[in-house]
Amino acid sequence: MYGAQARAVGMRYAPRQAFTVAMWLLGGLLVVFIILPMVRLAMATSVHGLAGAVRNPDVRASIQLSLQDALAAAAIATFCGVPLAWVLARKHFPGKGFVEGVVDLPLAVPHTVVGIALLFVFGRKGWVGAPAGHLGISFFGTQWGIIVGMMFVSAPFVVDTVRVAMEDVDPRLEQAARTLGASPWQTFRHVTLPLSTRGVLSGFVLAYARAISEFGAVVILAYFPLTAPVEVYDLYLQEGLDQSAAAAVLLLIVTLATFLVFRSLTAGGVGRWLSTRT
Amino acid sequence: MALDADVAAEGGLAASELTLTLGTFALGPISLAVAPGRTLVVLGPSGSGKTVFLESLAGFRPLRGGRIVLGGRDITGTPTEQRQVGLMFQDYALFPHLTVHENVGFGLRIRHQQDAGRIDAMLRDLGLSHLGGRRPATLSGGERQRVALARALVVEPGLMLLDEPLSALDAPTREVVRDLLRSTLRALPIPSIYVTHDQDEAVALADDLAVFRNGRLVQLGPVDEVVDRPADTFVARFMGMELLVGATVRGERLLLPGGREIAPLSAAGWSGPCCACYRPEDVVLFPTKGLAGDLFDGPLERITPQGALTRLTVGGPVPFTALAFRRSVAGLALGTPVRALLPAGTIRVVAVAPD
Repeated sequence: MYGAQARAVGMRYAPRQAFTVAMWLLGGLLVVFIILPMVRLAMATSVHGLAGAVRNPDVRASIQLSLQDALAAAAIATFCGVPLAWVLARKHFPGKGFVEGVVDLPLAVPHTVVGIALLFVFGRKGWVGAPAGHLGISFFGTQWGIIVGMMFVSAPFVVDTVRVAMEDVDPRLEQAARTLGASPWQTFRHVTLPLSTRGVLSGFVLAYARAISEFGAVVILAYFPLTAPVEVYDLYLQEGLDQSAAAAVLLLIVTLATFLVFRSLTAGGVGRWLSTRT
Repeated sequence: MALDADVAAEGGLAASELTLTLGTFALGPISLAVAPGRTLVVLGPSGSGKTVFLESLAGFRPLRGGRIVLGGRDITGTPTEQRQVGLMFQDYALFPHLTVHENVGFGLRIRHQQDAGRIDAMLRDLGLSHLGGRRPATLSGGERQRVALARALVVEPGLMLLDEPLSALDAPTREVVRDLLRSTLRALPIPSIYVTHDQDEAVALADDLAVFRNGRLVQLGPVDEVVDRPADTFVARFMGMELLVGATVRGERLLLPGGREIAPLSAAGWSGPCCACYRPEDVVLFPTKGLAGDLFDGPLERITPQGALTRLTVGGPVPFTALAFRRSVAGLALGTPVRALLPAGTIRVVAVAPD
């Protein structure tokens, strides 16, 4: 009798185990799919090759350019994205669905298409590019163009992440602050923002990661000066797969390292520290 | 209650003809006044508009019409932060990223009136001194609500608003915090408005009672008046009364099934549709074995324990609901024949509430 019971229990558990195993297998497959090309890339170069890439001034300059422009793009996207996220999280207005769609548009549009569209606006004869040219600011083939391209593709990450974080802040906390004498700005500064600091930092890091990896939009709007992804592509075209591998690995190391540093900072003490500074 | 204008001029609150709409929900028109030192409890079921009314007083919801005067100052269009209203929420709404001390000091810091002595005194008054460095997440429900009270009071508001502040607390803590609120609100020289759906809580805390239904003010008056003379069957039921099923009002008398007539307390003067009500705690039950008479006799049909009390339903031509101490009805079982006695003068006649 106990044997029959045990078999019945076993039959109940067997599908559960099969379910868990299937989830692990399918999930694991995706992890392998992501990591395999990275491992193979790392194996395509040697320490000697890597050292050569580090010594190459063009490669070094391109990585430095990518780092600083990605930081600038993420910073500007965060500066404008946080207010937009607040508006979307807290306000109801006609056309809100349209604005939400617009924010996520860069996620769906092919990035070469983005580059061409940006060229029409920020190019020398573009709606923004032409008047800016009169003020001595050019986007075509300059750092400004790189930042514009990076910002366009990375902005949704800031807005969406911060919006979710702000929606999680209980509106009653903001109401409590208002009754205690806080103006809307003081409420945002002392309550909403500190309580969504982690979301803001996460949004910034995601935007930075997206910006530094951007190729399609940047290559059309500003092929020169060469950012690191464009430099790798340039090396691949001119010197082949093996020659470009060392620069690619170096770029991978630098971007991964900065990404991991930022992410650990936001997840750890910095986020906590910032959220208590009101 | 004094005239609205007098109340407002003396530091009280006067709301006149307040209306607002929220989607398909319409509130008002609501007119009421609360004198300084008095607590008005707004009582009503969920969706009756009592919280929306409170939010409109706090300035969170724009009014469609009406006027709010606080201490002689028209605050109808004043932004929330300039209204000088203190607000306590059901879910405390303490700032989770700040310590207890910082929470209580938030309003003073925002107003650049940082005064550690004042914060410490408030913490001491509410027995929170030892919790100053703690975060809200580490506090019990009762402690959190005391911090919320301290935070609201330390900025010396001109009006105190409380939105079901006890409903998230467990029963023993609720009693302690209710007593604290009762004594604190009584001592405050400002008007207080307390929103709840719990009639026991309302009676315990109110000087005046306002009963809301579907966005409208159904009855307003001193608490004893509302309890003793509910305006209609809705208020009567909400205040814990039961309808006397099968009884019909004839002039000043009450006609019961079986032909008996009794004189209710307040039958005179009713012209519209009305019916008889009574308080189940007024009903006295006797086992009928060995007793004569049959008017309210019947078997016990339902026994529902409610903590220290038990609600008993007696069947028969006039079904009765009685509320008795649990220990006093411990020996009674379902089906036991009992006699229900309503002492003279405990039946009220009230208007039938509109649907």
